[in-house]
Amino acid sequence: MASLTAKKQKAFRLPGFKLSFGFTIFYVSLLILLPLSMILLHSLQLTWGEFWTIISDPRAVASYKLTIGASLVAALINVVFGTIIAWVLVRYTFPLKSLMDGLVDLPFALPTAVAGIALTALYAPNGWIGQFFDFKIAFTPLGIMIALTFIGLPFVVRTVQPVLESFRIEEEEASASLGANRMQTIRHVIFPTLIPAILTGFTLAFARALGEYGSVVFIAGNMPMKTEITPLFIMTKLEQYDYVGATAIASVMLIGSFFFLLTMNIIQWLIQRKYTKRVGA
Amino acid sequence: MSIELREIDKHFGQYHALQKISLSIQPGELVALLGPSGSGKTSLLRIIAGLETLDEGTILFDQKEVVHLSAKERNIGFVFQHYALFNHMTVFDNVAYGLKVRPKKLRPSKKEIEDKVIELLSLVKLEHFAKRYPSQLSGGQRQRVALARALAVEPKVLLLDEPFGALDAKVRKDLRRWLRKLHNDYHITSIFVTHDQEEALDVADRIVIMNEGRIEQIGSPVEVYENPASPFVYDFLGNVNLFKGRLRKGELINGDFSFKVPGSNLDSEQETVGYVRPHDVAIEKEVRPNTVKATVLHIHPIGATIHIELHRPDTNDYLEAEITKEFFTQLAIEKGDTVYIHPKQLKVFVPEDFSI
Repeated sequence: MASLTAKKQKAFRLPGFKLSFGFTIFYVSLLILLPLSMILLHSLQLTWGEFWTIISDPRAVASYKLTIGASLVAALINVVFGTIIAWVLVRYTFPLKSLMDGLVDLPFALPTAVAGIALTALYAPNGWIGQFFDFKIAFTPLGIMIALTFIGLPFVVRTVQPVLESFRIEEEEASASLGANRMQTIRHVIFPTLIPAILTGFTLAFARALGEYGSVVFIAGNMPMKTEITPLFIMTKLEQYDYVGATAIASVMLIGSFFFLLTMNIIQWLIQRKYTKRVGA
Repeated sequence: MSIELREIDKHFGQYHALQKISLSIQPGELVALLGPSGSGKTSLLRIIAGLETLDEGTILFDQKEVVHLSAKERNIGFVFQHYALFNHMTVFDNVAYGLKVRPKKLRPSKKEIEDKVIELLSLVKLEHFAKRYPSQLSGGQRQRVALARALAVEPKVLLLDEPFGALDAKVRKDLRRWLRKLHNDYHITSIFVTHDQEEALDVADRIVIMNEGRIEQIGSPVEVYENPASPFVYDFLGNVNLFKGRLRKGELINGDFSFKVPGSNLDSEQETVGYVRPHDVAIEKEVRPNTVKATVLHIHPIGATIHIELHRPDTNDYLEAEITKEFFTQLAIEKGDTVYIHPKQLKVFVPEDFSI
């Protein structure tokens, strides 16, 4: 009992907890939970059978596969190259470095439709880059991946960068003085400390790619069963005034995203716990 | 292994960090590099380790030149002030790291690594902590892990960069003793950097006192303490009182007071400074010949010694004296009392360019 009151006192020692906590609950509910619950509520108009028919429609399933697959590939590409860019930005000085640093954020700021048009112009069969390939890039899943890679890059760079900046050079020096070569130091000493940040970056880039619409519609070609992503499929249903069908598909996206984020958070939590758990405390 | 440094020179941009440093260290010696921050002691240690490049000069390990070798190839053990442990590895893996990263041909078997790590962990008395992560250990424990990790690769030289600087006073003292004992048992050539004179005097076989990129003095703890080679060393190795005055016919004249300086029989007169350690300030209650009047400002009892702050009205100088508790009780002085002081010992450094 004594420890319980002690705990309670500790939680409330600083004033303002009730106010700020209440505000947080209200704000999150208003801004996130309420709109999302509308999606589920809308879908509840359907019976299970109808719901299942809509969400297991082959065209819908093909769109899930494409969206998830392309997002995954794009997020993985961003993990590799985003980490390298973060490394270069943190570790080296070169002319126009801050310009380069600023460029990384552009995909955040650019209206995605503009990005989509620009990428399509580049990768179309007669575009600047597209003309050099004897296979199509724009209007295929490959084009979708390029668009998703473009919009996801800042997430990885911006999550890995601060961790690399705070990395103490002494640990690398310790590794070298113990006889490790550069590759061993990177693999055993630097990389493991970056994993949580890389996972977060991956999660953000993947989640962003799942919901991306604007930049993809131009480059995708939008052929049902082939290059139609789920957000576009939902849009198509809305345009046909099939609001219930649209929300059914949306609820699949919603639940899928939720479980994906939950899984990633659990993994993060497990990693964090591994390094900081205190025995007997 | 013996270490020889010849005319090491290092600049950081415009800043001349090390100026022609030459030093030779005998096999099995425990040497302290002592100096204030910015004196170049850490840079010198890092250059010996191969973690920093040098502009000019030579480093010999056992008469073999090692300047072109990287830190990885020099076979040194380096201990950092802030431990630099690998936080994502257990204590065991931290200590095993140096053995695990060896090329396949030189790598001991898994069993051998395990035995070695356990042996080292029991040496630093952390055998029960093998499965913990560094974040679960106290500062002193972390530094012991860092030492075990450095020793695992059986280095020929152990280099320690302010190894106890981040620890609290009690732990620092314990680890200091422990390092001394470790060194007595293993005789591994060791160099450690410190800005704490007490630490250097307590642990080292020899002390190298550095200031502004130069070596001020090299010697055993007794030598450097008893015979400081320069005012800087005198000042740095302990508290000191300054008696500014004129040196005339072998006497230092300072306010109402003069003191015979042994060994100086110059005819010329010059400005100089006499250095007196607080424990060499004698205090009397009665006026005697060759003493000077002072007022007691503060009395600080610190354990068995009493620190007394004094003020001299004739020169308006502030002085510090240290006396034993016993003597303090005999003397029976209080704050505000007038006492008569004289230095029992006074050291004068005559500037070399006095003739100008």
